[in-house]
Amino acid sequence: MTKILDLLDIQGNVIKAYGRFSFPCARYLLLRIQHGERGRAFVAAIARQVTTAVTWGDGPGQIRKPLATTNIAFTFAGLQALELPEASLRGFPPEFVMGMKMRKAILGDNGPSDPEHWDPVWHGEQVHVFISINGQQPDYLEQRYQWLLGLIAQSEGGVSLLRGHRGDHGAADLPYQEARAVMENGKLTSKEHFGYTDGIGDPVFEGLPGSPQRVEGRGKQTVQGWEPLATGEFILGHLDEAKEYPRAPAPLSLARNGTYMVYRKLHENVGSFNDFLDREGRAYPGGREQLAAKFVGRWRDNGAPLTDAPDVASKQDWDRRFMQAAPAEKDRMLSAFTFDQDADGAKCPFSAHVRRINPRASLQTTPGAFDTPGALANRRRILRRGLPYGEVRDPQRDDGNHGIIILMMQADINRQFEFVQQQWINYGNDFRAGNDKEIILGNHDAEYPSRAVLPVPSESDAAPYFLRNIPRLVETRGGDYFFVPSMTALRMIAEGSVDPT
Amino acid sequence: MPDKSGNAYALTILSPIRAGHLDEIAYADVVRSRLDAWNFLENSPMARVPQTYLCRYFVLDDVFTQSLGGGDVFGTWQDFLSIFSDRARRRALPHEDHLKSRYLVFSCNFHGDLDAYLRGMWLAIGNEIRHAWEFCYAFDQVRNADDFVAYMKKCRLKASLFFVGSNDDPLDEQLKALYLKQEFGKFVVAHQGVPAAQLQQAYRDFIARVEPANLAGPSWSPGQYRLRQENQ
Repeated sequence: MTKILDLLDIQGNVIKAYGRFSFPCARYLLLRIQHGERGRAFVAAIARQVTTAVTWGDGPGQIRKPLATTNIAFTFAGLQALELPEASLRGFPPEFVMGMKMRKAILGDNGPSDPEHWDPVWHGEQVHVFISINGQQPDYLEQRYQWLLGLIAQSEGGVSLLRGHRGDHGAADLPYQEARAVMENGKLTSKEHFGYTDGIGDPVFEGLPGSPQRVEGRGKQTVQGWEPLATGEFILGHLDEAKEYPRAPAPLSLARNGTYMVYRKLHENVGSFNDFLDREGRAYPGGREQLAAKFVGRWRDNGAPLTDAPDVASKQDWDRRFMQAAPAEKDRMLSAFTFDQDADGAKCPFSAHVRRINPRASLQTTPGAFDTPGALANRRRILRRGLPYGEVRDPQRDDGNHGIIILMMQADINRQFEFVQQQWINYGNDFRAGNDKEIILGNHDAEYPSRAVLPVPSESDAAPYFLRNIPRLVETRGGDYFFVPSMTALRMIAEGSVDPT
Repeated sequence: MPDKSGNAYALTILSPIRAGHLDEIAYADVVRSRLDAWNFLENSPMARVPQTYLCRYFVLDDVFTQSLGGGDVFGTWQDFLSIFSDRARRRALPHEDHLKSRYLVFSCNFHGDLDAYLRGMWLAIGNEIRHAWEFCYAFDQVRNADDFVAYMKKCRLKASLFFVGSNDDPLDEQLKALYLKQEFGKFVVAHQGVPAAQLQQAYRDFIARVEPANLAGPSWSPGQYRLRQENQ
C-alpha cells in the first residue's frame, strides 16, 4: 500500500525545495531565546504562520500557495533555553548536542573553513533558533520579515535577533542572511556561482507527493529498478531503510514528522575556480568545458549527466534529444542515470561531485554482493534545500560575497551528512580513490596538495588525466545543526507541554 | 589452523598475569599502563623488531558474553519443570565461562621463522619486553633469548589471526614497494604532458633517485606513520 504522509504536520521546507516552487529569494535569521516563557510565547506566535508541507491548490477546500513562507528550527541550546524537559533533551543524539563547530575535525572544517573565520554571528555561544522566510517576490519577503520583527519586538526581550551575517561591501553585522536564485540574462536559474545547476538529484522517498516518474535516479537503485527510499531516512517516526525507527527523543510526538537540518554557509572561491579551470583546461585533452563537467559529473550549460553524455559528440546528441523532449522526459534525462556502465569512472570520475554525494549502485563492485545494489548509498542520502547568496562582481576574485546556503535534511546527521562529508567528500577510499577528495567541496590545502584522477576507458590507449594542486574551491563560513519539529511538536514546545513520561 | 601462510607468520601469545599488586594497583593494570605509555613515544618499540608487519598488544580482563546460548533439546522439559522449582530453572540456564586470570595478549604478524623472529625481538627490545612481561607467570625465569623463545612458545595459541594489509614478502621489500608506488604516483602526476624526450630523461633521473633495487636506499622506514619531508 502506498504510504501517505500527514503533510499538514510536516514543515514545508522538509518536503519542498522552495526555490523550485517559484520562491526564488530567502532570508535566514538566527535568534537567541533570552527568557523561557516569553520565548515560548514567541514560538507560539510564529507557529501560527509556519508553512506546512501541504500540497497547494486553488480548488475548493485546498490551501492556496502563500506569497511568502516561514519555517523554524532549533539547536540543542535553543531547546534547552525553551526549557524542554531534561528527559527529552537527553534523547537527542550527541552530534546534535555538540553542534557543528565542535564537529569541525570530523567535517574537515580546517584552515580557511575553521570556525574562527566564520561569520561573526556564529562566534561565541551556540545560536538558538533558525527562521527562514522564502518569498515569491522581494516585497513579500520584506513584508514577512517586518511581521517577524514585530513579533520579536512584542516578545518583551524574550528573544533577540542576532546580527553578524556577512554581506556585500564588507558588511559583517547584517541581521539576516540573504539568499536568492542566480540570474542569467535577466532570467532566474537553478545555478550556483560556478555555473552548475544545483539540486537536480534530490531524493524521492515513500509518501513524498509528486509524479511517480520522479523516482528514477532519485530513489534507490534495486534489481527491479528505481524505488522510493524509506521515509525514515528523512523524517523521524517512520521506518528507515533498516526497517527500524530512527533514534529520536521521547516522547514520540516530539520527534514524529520532525527531522534534523544542517545549515551550512559555503563561500565559493570563484576566482580560484576560474583560474584552476583555465589552467587545467588548457592541458586537458577534452577542453575546458568538458573538464568543468568532469568536476561535477554534469555539463554546466544544461546539467546533462556525463554518464549519458561523456564527450562532445554524445553531448550534442543528448542535447538534441533533450530539446525535443517533453518536460517529464527532460526531467528523467537529467536524473535517471546510473554508473552501471561506468565502473572504471571513464565517463564520470570517482571524485566528481555527483558520484561522491550519491554513488547510486556503484559501490557494489561485485554483482550480488548486497541484498540490494544501492545498499551502501541508501542510508547516506540527504534532502538538499537552500539557495545561492550574493553576486559575482569580479570572476577573477575569491573575496566577494558569493556562495551557497545549503540546508540539508535527514533523520540522522551523523550517519548521513557527517559520514558523506568525512568519508566521501574529504576522503576517497570507498571509491578506490585513495585519499583523493571530492573536487569541488573537498578541503584541499597547499600543504598536502590534492589531486584527482580523470580515468579513461580501460581498453583505451589514452593516458588518464591527473588534476594537480586543486585549490580550496569552497570554504565554510558558518553553520549548525538544527531540529526541525513537526507542527504538533512545535505547538507542544510553544505550550511547554512536551511530556516524556 | 595453520599459523603460517607462505612466509607470513601469525603469532598469538597469551601470557597469564599474576594476581598480585604493586602498591595498590593490580599487576594487570600496571601492565596495561606500561603498554599505554608506548603510545606516547615517538614510535613503538616494536618498530625496532626486524620483520614485523603489524602487531597489537592488549590486556585481556575476561571473556565477555553478549548473550547466552539458547536451550537444548530438553529445553521444553526444563521449562516445564521450572514451574515447580526455581532451582530447575537456574540449572537450565546456559553455563557462563570466565577466565581464571588476566592475560597479556600479543598478536603479531611477521615475515619468516618463529624462533628467529623471537630471538630478533629479544635482541632488539629486551628491556621493553622485560618491562611489559614482568608480572606474567614464570617470566622471572626468563634470562636470555633462548629462555624467551621457550617461554613464548609455551604461551602460544594457534589462532591464525592474520591481519589484512600485507603479503608475505620480507618487510624491507614491502616498504620499498610501497615507497616506489607512492613516488611513482607523484612522478606521473608531476610529469603529465611532458614531451617524450624530456619525460625519458626525467624518468632516468627518477630511477636514479629512488634506486628500485636498493632495499637499503630511499624507502619508508619500519614503523613510520607520518609523512615527513625526507623519507629516510
